[in-house]
Amino acid sequence: MTTVHSTYSQDEAALEAAPPRVTRRKAIGALAIRLGAVAAFAAILIYLAIAAPGFTLPGNLINIVEQSAILGVMAFGMSMVIIGGGSNVTEGGIDLSIAANMGVCAAVYAKLLMLGYSDAPALGATLMVGIAIGALNAYAVVGLGILPLLATLAVMNIAAGIELTVTQNTVLSVSSRFLDFLSTSSAFGISALAGSLILASIIMIALVHFTSFGLRLYAVGGHPEAARAAGISASRYVMFTYMFSGLCAAISSVLMVSRLSSSTPGSGEMLLSVLAAALLGTVFSRRFVPTIGGTLLSVLFIGCLANGFQLLNVSSYWVNGVQGALILLVVATTSFARKPESGQ
Amino acid sequence: MRTSEQRIAVSMKGINKRFGSVQALDDANLDIACGTIHGLVGQNGAGKSTIIKVLAGINIPDSGTVEIMGKRVERLSPSVVERHGVHFIHQDRLLVPTATVGEAVFLRHEPKFGPFIRRRLMDRQAAALIKTYFDIELDPGVLVQDLTTAQQKIVQITRALAQKARVLVLDEPTAALVKREVDSLFSVLRRLRDEGIAVIFISHYMQEIEALCDTVTVMRNGTDVGVVSPGETPVDKIIAMMINRDVGEMFPARQTKVGAPVLQITGYGRAGSFNNIDLEVRRGEIVGLTGLLGSGAKEIVRCLFGLQQPDRGTVKLENKLINIGSPMQAVQHGIAMLPEDRRAHGVALGLSVRENVSLASLGRYSQLGFMRRGSERSAVTDFIRELSIKTPGGETLVRNLSGGNQQKVAIAKWLSCHSKVYVLDEPTVAVDVAAKVEIYTLLNRLASEGAAILMLSSDLLELSDFCDRVLVVYRGELVGEFSGDALDSDHLLAASSGAQRNEGVAA
Repeated sequence: MTTVHSTYSQDEAALEAAPPRVTRRKAIGALAIRLGAVAAFAAILIYLAIAAPGFTLPGNLINIVEQSAILGVMAFGMSMVIIGGGSNVTEGGIDLSIAANMGVCAAVYAKLLMLGYSDAPALGATLMVGIAIGALNAYAVVGLGILPLLATLAVMNIAAGIELTVTQNTVLSVSSRFLDFLSTSSAFGISALAGSLILASIIMIALVHFTSFGLRLYAVGGHPEAARAAGISASRYVMFTYMFSGLCAAISSVLMVSRLSSSTPGSGEMLLSVLAAALLGTVFSRRFVPTIGGTLLSVLFIGCLANGFQLLNVSSYWVNGVQGALILLVVATTSFARKPESGQ
Repeated sequence: MRTSEQRIAVSMKGINKRFGSVQALDDANLDIACGTIHGLVGQNGAGKSTIIKVLAGINIPDSGTVEIMGKRVERLSPSVVERHGVHFIHQDRLLVPTATVGEAVFLRHEPKFGPFIRRRLMDRQAAALIKTYFDIELDPGVLVQDLTTAQQKIVQITRALAQKARVLVLDEPTAALVKREVDSLFSVLRRLRDEGIAVIFISHYMQEIEALCDTVTVMRNGTDVGVVSPGETPVDKIIAMMINRDVGEMFPARQTKVGAPVLQITGYGRAGSFNNIDLEVRRGEIVGLTGLLGSGAKEIVRCLFGLQQPDRGTVKLENKLINIGSPMQAVQHGIAMLPEDRRAHGVALGLSVRENVSLASLGRYSQLGFMRRGSERSAVTDFIRELSIKTPGGETLVRNLSGGNQQKVAIAKWLSCHSKVYVLDEPTVAVDVAAKVEIYTLLNRLASEGAAILMLSSDLLELSDFCDRVLVVYRGELVGEFSGDALDSDHLLAASSGAQRNEGVAA
């Protein structure tokens, strides 16, 4: 721990003695949580490698990465919202509508292709729909001042309704040149789907961790008043995160349609995985905030888990249970570690 | 004070600002010269913080002009003011807890290459600035939340310096610092002054004002009542300027018949807040407790409420040791509490007057879990009449009452369960004068009926003219006890600002 090397006498240091000890204990606790999380990840992966037949085959590992691309892009959107809104579980940033938004985007994209539109306008419209739903969230949260948890829950239901209206709850099978490209092409043994996850990760890491935009976004989430006092327009940043999350939903909807060659109902169920990935990612940061690296790790971990359960012939329903338990565990431990020890 | 044609850094003239019915600033002026440390003193409510908020662009004045570095600034806003080189070190350290030191120093002014932050350069510059000005090594990678209060202050000041501040405004910067940290802060401020920066220093601590400031502006009742030099004007004269004498006879006459001790606190201590506090309150006595922000007085009361836990010491209620682990336990022991933030803790705004009054003593009005509406209603009607709560009726929502009447409801809540001890936290803050008088009368009656009353207050007149005895806390310790003739606002202010230690003790 760093201490002040002061040339002044130490005689009145009594009042000051308490905070450093407390912070050191906190820092050790935080480190224990991080190392514990890494150890748990490693232990589970090793178990899967040994117990699940074919888990470590290259084909299977690539499969995991490809499966994770859809989840990953959405988890990046969710991370962005949590970074800008703060990781306070009750009042902080969260976008519960992201999976439902993805469903709407997939439906719109498939429907437009079915109606004979070519790739470019269909893609453009899809991205616009995603951003528009994100803007609705932004308006509800920033404009109307509704708690994100509630605002995005409401928007989630709106989105789910729109999706059902567009698809009539049926599978819309489609194909297009762009979709073929995404699902079949590959370079250096990396498929387009896996490539999109890698590309998205690189862009996100650069944006969030290396630009002043990212730093300011973290500041807005960490202490909005302090950010405002530094001259940052906190509300604009928060609005941006919800629209960005909508964009991520739209992008992952395109990946989804390419992977399944259709838009299928039930994409709303991915919400739990997205949330689990974004929240799980926070344990890898000493500040207990989402980081892109942490989110990516968690996404891959959840991908491994789902895949391993399949190989072990465990019902995939269990994956939901495990993800729910992970969310509880992560939120409980990080909020415990974050809690100041004094009464104020 | 060094003369030789000093440039005026900040000049505020004829500033008026009204909040509702309160004239917060009344033709106030403030002139700050470059290369000086300028103190701003005044009692709570004198307008210090309002005039600073006007300068910060947070409060928009109703009239008046502001010049910064000789240039008239029309539309003040936080970013405009910052562009003119005026920086504020806020009392509540406004830093992002999850940022590193380097990030906190340069937030929004990051050294960049294209859109990318030059993180290493940023950290190196932050460390160098801290080293230059404070002569300490602070790892720029440490998180702000892991720093001590003093280190966070250092980061805040460094942040202002990194942006080439020409005017530095510090609002109560020493409130949570220990002495050697205060000393090193002062030497930095003196150095900045010598480099030509204008420093505005707001403090309640008269010792610090005396030690540090070249010039002091004294504020009272929303206006500047004098500009003095602490070298020439003694502290007690400055204090006399701060205190407002012309207040009408608002305090009811007290006839005290003091009985046996009811509340006794011995050796009370809480690390970082207060130490070794002994106090007792007797039957029929109204005891005041006061201290500046951060002195620990507030924490003592919070411990009595069960909102915080002391590390050491005992509390006796009528000679029985009690343990106050939670507000619930405090209530069970018969301690009636009136928290400062009555909207948050004192009354339930969404409930009616009747429901609020009977809330603390539901047992009395219920049978087998059902409310006995009849007896409840008649008791509440009595309270409303007795306390002259201005409400259309018992069913009116408390939300719709004025502040003073809300406070009366909060007190009535405890009356209905016949408490022996009342612990009040700033009972008359944000209450109009008429309601104040009624609250005083009510407390007076409670005391004469045998209740022991301990009230934390920062209103010097209320303390000196209403309480029987006043205890003063300074930097975590009881430094004075005043009663009888020794109990006057000058002594209280002097003791709580550390200018005078433990005089006028009359047992």
